[in-house]
Amino acid sequence: MTAALTLEGVSKRYGGFDAVRDLSFEVPKGSICGFLGPNGAGKTSTLRMILGLQPATSGRIDILGAPNGRLVRDRLGFLPEERGLYKKMTPVEAIAFFGALKGVPMGEGKRRAKQLLEQQGLGAAQKKKMKELSKGMAQKVQLIAAVVHRPEFVILDEPFSGLDPMNQQGLEEMIRGLAAEGATVLFSTHVMQHAERLCDKVVLLARGRKAFEGSVDEAKATSPRFLDLDGAITPEAATALPGVAGVETLSDQDGVRRLKIALAAGAGGQETLKAAFLNGLDVRGFALKEPTLHDAFINLTGDNPDQALNRSEAGQ
Amino acid sequence: MKRTLLIARREYVAYAKTVGFWLSLLAFPMFAVLGGGIPLLIRSAEPVKTVALVEESPAATGLAAEVRTALEEEKARLAEKVQEAAQKGQGAAGRAAASIAGPKMRLVEAPASITVAPAGPAREAALRETLDKAAPKDRRLDAVVFLNRVEGKPQAQVWTARTTDNDVEGFVRDALRRGYRDQALTAAGVAPALVEEIEAFKPEVKAFSPDAASGGEVSMRDRIPSFIGLGAGFLLWSLVITGASILLNSVMEEKSNKILEVLLSSASASEILTGKVLGVALLTLTVLAVWAGIGSSVLVSASPETAATIGQVLLDGGLVFYFIAYMVGGYLMYAVLFAAIGAFCETPRDAQTLMGPIMMILVVPILVMQMALTSPDAPVVKVLSWIPFFTPFLMSARAPSDPPLIEIVLTLVGMFATAVLMVWIAGRAFRAGALSDVKLSWKTFGRAVTGR
Repeated sequence: MTAALTLEGVSKRYGGFDAVRDLSFEVPKGSICGFLGPNGAGKTSTLRMILGLQPATSGRIDILGAPNGRLVRDRLGFLPEERGLYKKMTPVEAIAFFGALKGVPMGEGKRRAKQLLEQQGLGAAQKKKMKELSKGMAQKVQLIAAVVHRPEFVILDEPFSGLDPMNQQGLEEMIRGLAAEGATVLFSTHVMQHAERLCDKVVLLARGRKAFEGSVDEAKATSPRFLDLDGAITPEAATALPGVAGVETLSDQDGVRRLKIALAAGAGGQETLKAAFLNGLDVRGFALKEPTLHDAFINLTGDNPDQALNRSEAGQ
Repeated sequence: MKRTLLIARREYVAYAKTVGFWLSLLAFPMFAVLGGGIPLLIRSAEPVKTVALVEESPAATGLAAEVRTALEEEKARLAEKVQEAAQKGQGAAGRAAASIAGPKMRLVEAPASITVAPAGPAREAALRETLDKAAPKDRRLDAVVFLNRVEGKPQAQVWTARTTDNDVEGFVRDALRRGYRDQALTAAGVAPALVEEIEAFKPEVKAFSPDAASGGEVSMRDRIPSFIGLGAGFLLWSLVITGASILLNSVMEEKSNKILEVLLSSASASEILTGKVLGVALLTLTVLAVWAGIGSSVLVSASPETAATIGQVLLDGGLVFYFIAYMVGGYLMYAVLFAAIGAFCETPRDAQTLMGPIMMILVVPILVMQMALTSPDAPVVKVLSWIPFFTPFLMSARAPSDPPLIEIVLTLVGMFATAVLMVWIAGRAFRAGALSDVKLSWKTFGRAVTGR
């Protein structure tokens, strides 16, 4: 599959701080690619470099055949992490204005705006001012404004942040819809569940470096399976069981614990469980768990994607 | 270009659609009218004071008549002025101003309770009763004046209902002084007719200058250009500051509402900056056009001759084109600078670090411009007008007094060169500021410009 986006050895340095280091990855045309990492991992800097809003310190970027996003601006759609539209404009006016900036005639932009707003269940909000809309509605309007010119490549920076589960689901459907119409979607997030449900491909970023590039299943395969054990079991006793790579205490109430046991590569879990019973451990409950993308991320990077990294991004 | 125009259009419409814009637009002419009209209204609404004159002794005989004559003469003089204003076509405002000037008082007979009572507590009691605000209207007085002569010189004691009222006191003093002077001159053997002639004499004094348009005598036509220059300087200053401030607030609003980053993904930093500067420039021109429209309509109806002279002065020697050039240069320098500062700020407080010193510097031309009215060639005015940031205002004030052409050309070149430099600096700072979360300071601003 041809790549819509290619990064080769891209780095971004702010003063003495390396925000992005030697980053290389590809996004195939027509795919949905998740760009994953905790806050402060360098995602926004990378996206800004792809868009041409900031120059790369070194490396090469190729987006839709151009070396700089600014050269193919009208073929790109962008939803920034921190969002906002003109408060006194109506959704139709705002969408048509941003569409016009991307080359859609004002009249056509208004027609498309009304159609897209109707599709997203925002028909009644067409004539309201932006400041009168709820946060979820405003975010939908902004996404529509980002794609009203029918871009070939859509870049969404943390599109799910601040949305309630209902609106998150709606947004997931919109992203699937964009891909179904042939657009390539690259979105950044630190919430792995969205990526797990949506992405054909993921790129994991940790402390400015790429930690993984591949499909969701490939990412998950890098992580061990887990066995959860409940009972009056000490972590030491669990560690002594066969096929155990590591033990994490999830809870402890007066010696009754929930342990998360990471199984060694190739271990199925049955042997470990059998040994636990044979050793007379106080097993009151157990569950065998397949790894999630979240587990894979921790396994690959050592960072927790839910925790912001304390990296000083001066100049960002 | 299309994107620039779209941004300019949005910027213009966003402000022009608001009621606040039109209110503030009309506020200036409205306050100008009120500023001139209210004192007239207040003066015309002042009640006529009822004043009684009392000659305290036989020695004071004739003093009341002197004051009475002075009041009648004053009223006759004012009536003449009103007529003169009407003949000169000074319009309603001139006639109104002439008609309300002068004393507003009516002389009445003093009540017997005051004239009969001997000086002392009894008379004071009668005075208090008459001057009391609670007294019946038909018996109440605003002032009572006791006139006397001591060693041949007139004296007066003025009792007023209010301590702050000194109109009667001032009028009586003038009337007595004039009367005494006439008597003294007559006593010295000067004929009364001669005294009257000397008083009525107005020497004819004419001003001449080789710079005058006529080549000799200085007329109103020669003085108008200085006032136009000063007016243009102030107008330019207020328009440039207003426009630049609108731009600062607009960019700050976009920064705080997180719109700048979306805009930057849709247009280049220079397209955004140019679009915004252009949009606000059109807004400023709208303000100028409305003010000019209202001002010229008022002037044409009030004094067509002055309006024609001003028009002639503006067109003579292309003065109006200098003003346009100074406005363009001045606006460009300050607008892009303010926009770049706005790109770093989300609230006016964020902008204070840089805006404080800039506003302090901007006070300088305001102070110096007034000096340019009387001494357009004063060294301080000349030197400061070479500083590009002051050039638009100070050269506007100086332009009507025909400064050397070389100064005009070089200051214009300096101003436009600085404007181009400012556009370049602001463009870099704007792009860096729009995507930056750093706190604004001279250091961060400098780093954004140098790209370090």
